[in-house]
Amino acid sequence: MVGTRDSELVPELVRAWGPRVSQDRKHISVCVATAAGAKTIANLQDNGRVAVTFALPANSNAIQVWGRCIGTGRPHRDDLAAVQAHRDAFAEVNKDIGVPPPFINALWQRELAGSPAMVRIRFVAEQIFNQTPGPDAGSRL
Amino acid sequence: MSEVRALGVPLDSIASCFEGVIPASMCSCSREGLPNVTFLSIVHRMDENHVGLSFQFFNKTRKNIHENPRAQLIVVTPGTADQYRLDLRYLRTETDGPGFDRMRARLEAVASQTGMSRVFRLRGMDVYEVLDCRSVNQEGRSEIVSHADSIRELEAFTGRLDNCEGLDALLSTALEALADLFGHRHSFVMFPDEDGTRLYTGASYGFDPSGVGSEVVIGEGMLGLSAARRSVVRVTNLALDKVVARAVRSGIEHRGEESILDKEIPLPGLPDVRSQLVLPLLSRNRLLGVLCLQSADPGRFLESDERVMQIVARHLAASMASTMAAGSAEPKVAALQSDTAPAASHSVIKHYRSDDSIFIDDAYLTKGIPGRLFWKLLQAFVGTGRAAFTNKEIRLDASMGLPDIKDNLEARLILLRRRLDERCEFMRLIPAGRGRLHLDVRRSLALEELP
Repeated sequence: MVGTRDSELVPELVRAWGPRVSQDRKHISVCVATAAGAKTIANLQDNGRVAVTFALPANSNAIQVWGRCIGTGRPHRDDLAAVQAHRDAFAEVNKDIGVPPPFINALWQRELAGSPAMVRIRFVAEQIFNQTPGPDAGSRL
Repeated sequence: MSEVRALGVPLDSIASCFEGVIPASMCSCSREGLPNVTFLSIVHRMDENHVGLSFQFFNKTRKNIHENPRAQLIVVTPGTADQYRLDLRYLRTETDGPGFDRMRARLEAVASQTGMSRVFRLRGMDVYEVLDCRSVNQEGRSEIVSHADSIRELEAFTGRLDNCEGLDALLSTALEALADLFGHRHSFVMFPDEDGTRLYTGASYGFDPSGVGSEVVIGEGMLGLSAARRSVVRVTNLALDKVVARAVRSGIEHRGEESILDKEIPLPGLPDVRSQLVLPLLSRNRLLGVLCLQSADPGRFLESDERVMQIVARHLAASMASTMAAGSAEPKVAALQSDTAPAASHSVIKHYRSDDSIFIDDAYLTKGIPGRLFWKLLQAFVGTGRAAFTNKEIRLDASMGLPDIKDNLEARLILLRRRLDERCEFMRLIPAGRGRLHLDVRRSLALEELP
């Protein structure tokens, strides 16, 4: 999930797919549905502040990355391949907590129902936190 | 209270998003402009313009909303996977009231079941005004709210119960009717024991083996807490709750703080239960038992199901109370002699006085009050050939040394009867109507009393 905020500090959320770490390990990219992510993109162009939480449904392990956006634009072929791989893996791991794969398919198909276009968000990680539920949630990594 | 504001999508039209089947996401923002994203298991829809979120831990979200009250949620419809954004403004934190109590009952029941009672504590319910609700998807389609009132099914249910004689028939009919009329194919009823410390299963439907006789401690786990608090406990995705609980448990163990953890409590019933609805069976505020419905599907029991099942549970409890009272008022009837000649085969029945456990040819049958009752019946049968008994004579028989079990006697006899049906091929305890019992024995018996 990607969190941003506008100039009035009003938060905005959107679901993201296909996370990738750059080869030089200096930035991270994710893709969001263009229509569903319109306000997110506008916020990032306004102030660049971004928080992204990555969670594994099978065991609730999660991290949150706070960072600064360094660019938005059309995804490359490798980004779209990562999106597809993420969707497939997400459907698989959700089976264990009672969410059937057709539901996960519906989740992203509904996001793209109006427009199949996606936009890539690239950001630099500034702080990383443990987000796994428990006594260490919120601690810096 | 804020004025009622018309939302882009009425919360009522997306009620299933607030059932906890799919986790919600939340974004808050600090005064310095740093967004923060978290996941939530409980979003309670209070009314058309307010939601309540659980406050368990002091964290960044908590700090943020006190600095900047604006937040946003994304909730997901379990059926269609449609997503909705809710723009929120933090108003206050409640530490009592119906919304808080409801949230606490669910949270503490799951915490107790997973051995986390000293970890998961609801400190409060954060109340937010919903400023707007809109679809994330371009083609939003809020679900069609079904206003099916289940009146026909309820009418049929009460009709079937009207024709039952005796507690055993009443419970069997009720659980079968829950499957036939409402599609709840796995259900059981547990009774409290004499001293109010445990619940034991007295009737079940849709389980193999039946699970009759399984026990839980009152005050522990979802079943025990429902009985202790006399409140409904409903969970919609137990698999998800367990995953979160295990993640927290792992973190606590990693820090070497195991002393605050308790054992995960086994749940009677389906091995892969994901949805569960537990309803206390109350008559004039007296606990007669709990009714438990289970399903392997997440999201099986929604708020609307809970309302209908509350009516079912209240009618069932009233019928149970009436049946038990009728049983207590039964006149004593003449004892009958056994009309069944024991066959040539032979079995040894052992009774251990220390815990009233009964073993048939060294196979365990039951213990406690049902064991003591059965031993008494067997002694009469072997000593005098009596095979017919009345509830009332058992209740009044001082030599039995029974505690004051009054109208709970029939529940004990049901347990005994079901245990015999499941575990013994040659003895049955048959209800003979109007508070009478017939002991059907098809072997010669030798009784052996042990310390």
